[in-house]
Amino acid sequence: MSALVLGISAHYHDSAAALVDGTTVLAAAQEERFSRRRHDPSFPIQAVGYCLREAGVSLDDVTAIAYYEDPRLKFRRIAATYLGTVPHGVTSFRRTLPDWLTGKLRVRHTVARELAALGLGRVPDVVCRRHHESHAASAFFPSPYRSAAVLCVDGVGEWATTTIWRGHDDRLESVAELRFPHSLGLLYSAFTYFCGFKVDSGEYKLMGLAPYGRPRFVQQIRDNLVDVKPDGSFRLNMRYFEFLFGKVMTGAGFERLFGGPRRTPEAPLTEREFDLAASIQIVAEDIYLRLCRTAQRLTGEARLCLAGGVALNCVANGKLIQQEVFDGVWIQPAAGDAGGAVGAALAVAVERGATRGHVHTGRDAMAGALLGPAYDDDEIRAYLDSAGIPYAWHEPDALADAVADRLAEGAVVGWFQGRMEFGPRALGARSILGDPRRDDMQSVMNLKIKYRESFRPFAPAVLEADAQHYFDLKQESPYMLVVAEVSKPQRMAHDTATNRTGLDLLRVRRSTIPAVTHIDMSARVQTVNEDRNPAFHRLLTAFKARTGCSVLVNTSFNVRGEPIVRSPQEAYTCFMRTDMDVLAVGGFLLEKVDQPELREAHDWRDEIPLD
Amino acid sequence: MWSVFLTPLYYLVVVPAGVAARLVHDPLHRRWDDRATSYLIQTGALEKGER
Repeated sequence: MSALVLGISAHYHDSAAALVDGTTVLAAAQEERFSRRRHDPSFPIQAVGYCLREAGVSLDDVTAIAYYEDPRLKFRRIAATYLGTVPHGVTSFRRTLPDWLTGKLRVRHTVARELAALGLGRVPDVVCRRHHESHAASAFFPSPYRSAAVLCVDGVGEWATTTIWRGHDDRLESVAELRFPHSLGLLYSAFTYFCGFKVDSGEYKLMGLAPYGRPRFVQQIRDNLVDVKPDGSFRLNMRYFEFLFGKVMTGAGFERLFGGPRRTPEAPLTEREFDLAASIQIVAEDIYLRLCRTAQRLTGEARLCLAGGVALNCVANGKLIQQEVFDGVWIQPAAGDAGGAVGAALAVAVERGATRGHVHTGRDAMAGALLGPAYDDDEIRAYLDSAGIPYAWHEPDALADAVADRLAEGAVVGWFQGRMEFGPRALGARSILGDPRRDDMQSVMNLKIKYRESFRPFAPAVLEADAQHYFDLKQESPYMLVVAEVSKPQRMAHDTATNRTGLDLLRVRRSTIPAVTHIDMSARVQTVNEDRNPAFHRLLTAFKARTGCSVLVNTSFNVRGEPIVRSPQEAYTCFMRTDMDVLAVGGFLLEKVDQPELREAHDWRDEIPLD
Repeated sequence: MWSVFLTPLYYLVVVPAGVAARLVHDPLHRRWDDRATSYLIQTGALEKGER
């Protein structure tokens, strides 16, 4: 090993740790997977412990700790916000300042103290990187490109909310930025909040809701809420937003503009929410695509790397790729703040002389995002035997055959194999799978497996070699961050003359793979190859051999509100609590009908807060 | 406990400082500028053709 750097993101949301050796990411994990608290913001002590164990090292072997943002600069932004909002910010001032005075401001000291408490060796220097530098480094350094434009768009870190960079070999140069409070991420979050979803987690629900609506509020948004220049730079009209003052995102101004109070969480969705979602998606896409073109103009680069929470808007990513603005687009799979741990570590490693050796291979350096803990069959068997759980063990090929048989029969399968994914998407390591050809699969998986809202679409995983057969996809999408249209040969004629609106649109069969075809004929595609995920590739190949279909429904292995499962125990519990039929954990195949009844003292749904 | 200390701090120090600061300029740059062609802040070297 050359120079190990441990990256940390913490104290806001999606805390994570990552360990890099030069520019090779050895391990990365979000704290929520260990603490079982979704979007856990606390110091990622368990994730750090995992990263060190995975590499077989202690803190004595680590040359630096890289923290993902600069707390002093962030505090200056918060202080400027207080000055700029007097006399209305006293509530926020009283609530926020104690945290800053008791630890956040002295984050280097806080991080060193937390790590020292692990008792895993001497804590090396703690260095801070700016929030958007961490995002940019996470986007460019692991990318397969020798040089590229880099665009980072999120809510806010210190001051920057949007940044443009130019990456070349081992250098990353800042080019231009937009600053708080003018934030595309916060604009989108304001609509997320107004539509009754949780900020910093419900944005993808709003994106999924957009195709159900008519974009009738676009002009109102452009006239009143955001002034967009031709290059995509913009300013928000802060008279309509409340996030400068405290906890809520919107207030009376928003209510007047959009005809009444915000939707209460869990209340029925109405046409207004559908139409608001459709409208803000169009406005956000327009800004995003303009910024991408500006990044190209300012840097002269033919390829683009993306990170920041807004880069998880896979509909906008799909439009960008469809328009072929760039020759290639690479998106950091952990584009949100968790990925800042990887970026900060890589920024420090490169600064200390690490080089991007992987570029010669033409592949990225994220290892398919499979950077979390794995459990071998001995560990899994020990757990199953100790709990008296009946199973059958199979060699890898036989396991794929057996699971493919059950999928083809209509079974819903929990698929737990190898190292856990890093980032928000399940990519075939901690996934729930189903047959996408079945009409009832979407509603079964939403309501009986995931216990989530019926409008939410499911994503397809497809053999990379067959992706063009099913989707109009202009480049690979290994991290499920690109939406593409279902290809014309897969589409089915359906009655468009009826006046179906809203959730009634779900009841139409639109393609040969209806369970993964959204109502606008789009799908959030994951392309799978043997190199990145051999076990998942083997299963897709076996399913194709039986059915002729090389697509599976792939959704995260959890229920609504719960982090994705990490361990075999969590996978078994989730399997037993839901209507999944089969669990494939390592080489072990478990049938629900063979399992003893799960006895729990309380209703587990009371223990998991809704997201 | 904190609010006993922070509330007076806010009204006696932050509010006067904020009012004074905003007399000079808005620290959050909230005003829309119809004449501007861009709100981007240049932070580094551009390609020669873009200067």
